[in-house]
Amino acid sequence: MRTYILKRILGVVPTVLMITLVVFVMMRSVPGDPVVPLLGDAYTEEDAIKVREAYGLNKPVLVQYAIWLGKLVQGDWGTSILSGRPVLQDVLVRLPVTLELVVLSMGVALVIAIPAAIIGALRRNTWADYTATSVAMIGVSIPEFFTGVLLLLFFSVGLGGLLPSSGWVYLPGTCPMMVCGVSLWGNLQHVLMPAIALGIGRAALLTRLLRTSMLEVIRTEYVTTARAKGLAERPVVLKHALKNALIPTVTVMGLQVGFLIGGAIVVETLFAMPGLGTFGIDAIIGRDYQQVQGFALVTALAFVAINLIVDLTYTFLDPRIRYA
Amino acid sequence: MRSFAAALALAIVLAGVTTAGAQKRGGILRVAYGNEIAGLDFHVTPGYEMVWVATNIGCGLIGITPDGKFVPDAAESWTISPDGLLYTFKLKQNVLFHDGTRVDAAAVKFTVERIIDPATRSSMRSFMDSVHSVEVIDPHTVQIRLKQPYAFMLHMLAAYRMGLVLASPAATQKFSPEERRAGKPEAVVGCGPFKLVEWVKGSHLVMDRFDKYFVPGLPYLDRVVIRVIKDPVTQMAAFKAGEIDFIADFSADHVDTLRAQNPRAQVMTGKETTPMVAMMKVTVPADGKPMSKERGPHAIFNDIRVRKAIGCYGIDRKEIVKIAFKGQATPWLGIIPPGTLDSVDVTHLCPYDPARARALLAEAGYGPQKPLVFELMTNTEKSVFSVIATVIKEQVARIGVTANIRLVDKVSWMNTATQDGPFDMYVEDLASLMVLDQNTFLSASTASWNSARHTDPKVDEYYARYAREMDPVKRKVIAREFQEFSADKLYWNTISGSPFYQVAQPWMKDYVYQAEFKVLYKKVWLDK
Repeated sequence: MRTYILKRILGVVPTVLMITLVVFVMMRSVPGDPVVPLLGDAYTEEDAIKVREAYGLNKPVLVQYAIWLGKLVQGDWGTSILSGRPVLQDVLVRLPVTLELVVLSMGVALVIAIPAAIIGALRRNTWADYTATSVAMIGVSIPEFFTGVLLLLFFSVGLGGLLPSSGWVYLPGTCPMMVCGVSLWGNLQHVLMPAIALGIGRAALLTRLLRTSMLEVIRTEYVTTARAKGLAERPVVLKHALKNALIPTVTVMGLQVGFLIGGAIVVETLFAMPGLGTFGIDAIIGRDYQQVQGFALVTALAFVAINLIVDLTYTFLDPRIRYA
Repeated sequence: MRSFAAALALAIVLAGVTTAGAQKRGGILRVAYGNEIAGLDFHVTPGYEMVWVATNIGCGLIGITPDGKFVPDAAESWTISPDGLLYTFKLKQNVLFHDGTRVDAAAVKFTVERIIDPATRSSMRSFMDSVHSVEVIDPHTVQIRLKQPYAFMLHMLAAYRMGLVLASPAATQKFSPEERRAGKPEAVVGCGPFKLVEWVKGSHLVMDRFDKYFVPGLPYLDRVVIRVIKDPVTQMAAFKAGEIDFIADFSADHVDTLRAQNPRAQVMTGKETTPMVAMMKVTVPADGKPMSKERGPHAIFNDIRVRKAIGCYGIDRKEIVKIAFKGQATPWLGIIPPGTLDSVDVTHLCPYDPARARALLAEAGYGPQKPLVFELMTNTEKSVFSVIATVIKEQVARIGVTANIRLVDKVSWMNTATQDGPFDMYVEDLASLMVLDQNTFLSASTASWNSARHTDPKVDEYYARYAREMDPVKRKVIAREFQEFSADKLYWNTISGSPFYQVAQPWMKDYVYQAEFKVLYKKVWLDK
């Protein structure tokens, strides 16, 4: 197992390098030059040339990438071209917000998907199944921003500010700045609507997937055997059927992290959350190459790490799976 | 000055701003900005959001009131020599920077010279072209000598962009430009009513009351917290729920909804000071190299007949305003918007006249046999740009012209506009203008931001004559002449004013609306 984990971790390096290289080259291929918004009203071609030289933007793209990589190895993620702020510092400030949002939205998705899928599979072709399937279809069809706006209008405007519409309150002990709101209850209030908006679409997808898996599993011989042995329905479903049915679902959950980070861009913008999503989109819009690289690096690392965890989860779900 | 004053007076009436005598001290003002603050080097960083911070952390020599009167800030008095070349400022003796150092004549000299230094790359530098030198007479007296008379020297010092924001020489020399830009609190030192506590990009900016501010008793607020909420729907929800006290720049599209949801809200606006333009490119680089001084004619819009057919008679400005702004803007043609000093309404010079437009196009060789097709670029910064572009597309179709809309992001547009990139026409609202003179940096033939790339020296002559004429009556005459000339040549094609709105909770008191120019919290207090 240890050898497997080590191999996987080593395997992360080329993957992350490839992702950052592709992002690096793509960003430089996009029309637009960060020097223009940086200089703003004071823009002159002479100053622009000097600034490009100062930031090394006049060098060939691969040389720029090598310089960036060289600094990264030394722990220097660079500084934002536009704001002058250290990229790593900004990433670390924003990472906990997005991490919490992604984890909770996956939690929301599972809380909805697991019961809905079980009911759908066990009560196949009944009103309960149809309801679960229809709700899943609706969930998949509605984009995050629409769900978010509806939640916002209902809970923040309609119910007189029952839930806060925007901003962020940190969990106790996690404030990365001088001035933050810190409270467990406040944090829950702030994360609830974004997590639901982001999680509901994933819930719908997982419901459909898990329902199909459950339908296959409950028809297998070992489930029939378990029932024939007189086991109660609950352990049959939860212990024997669900555990096995979860394997493809867990694989998809890992892959969904990428979509969640993408969705976080929309949800964080809507709820004005200081997370990585807004950081990434601002960086791309502003052509802030250093920030874009920071964003790409951290999301690639998160994606690879979560998929590693997913792979390791298989051994828990199915003890027959062994990694050498 | 009358139009600017009238605009602000109207705004104050609209705002219903109170002037109660019993101001309450303390409290936290929660402010929402629609856009991110780009950085905090006040003399260098672009963007209104930065300006609205700079004017609260910094102080200047003088200020300007909504009715256009100049008032003391760090300077207690000033005199202007009869030839208009020497400005002498007497400084107050009790003005301190936030780092404890004194605001003296040396600091003023240091600041002006920093701005003028090309290495600083200050956005204020072009406005200081007239400055010859700065001389320290004594610690509290400073003289600014000009190369030639400049009628708008005080306007410039008070309010062009953020005006002259004084920099602490000690802090400026101690910290790097990057540290200032990044908002390191020790590096961002001003002499204004609030001092910077923290700026976390994408999260918040916090300013606390500066207890040694030179105006006794001010400011009233303990703290100002600025958050960026980009989505107007979220802004409205936060406002309705009482999570924010003030929206510094509210979307015109959503004003009616906000009013309906919050009948007691103070919705502030005034005559527009920002032009909405449909800019047409006049010349292109003759050698194909962007920014080249060798210019050739633009294939479509170099021809004045085509410019007039499309920009003058082919565009129905009233219809655009009705559709894009629900009538909440002024259809306009002049090179400066209706709320700008010395603005003249020349819109009548371009009545909507499709028949005349067709005739001009025919004269220029366009018609069914040779249809005119051009590209209309717009960007994603504001949804209203795309609406206007769509209406223009529809309007020019009525005269047999095809406009293909190209939607790009803000940075791509900026690159194209400033770097002589290829475009035929673009829709945008440009900088807020207090006076006609301020538009020099956007439309003089030598300006980097002259995105039409006209090469007409007559434009520059008008600007120079206007800026050097010290008699306001004669200046007004030049301004009118220039606006008529501009309407005739259409190097600059205004569509309308671009409305600006600010929204405050009923408990936010004594805030004075000054359009985009000033967002000052020093006299604001909270009645709750």
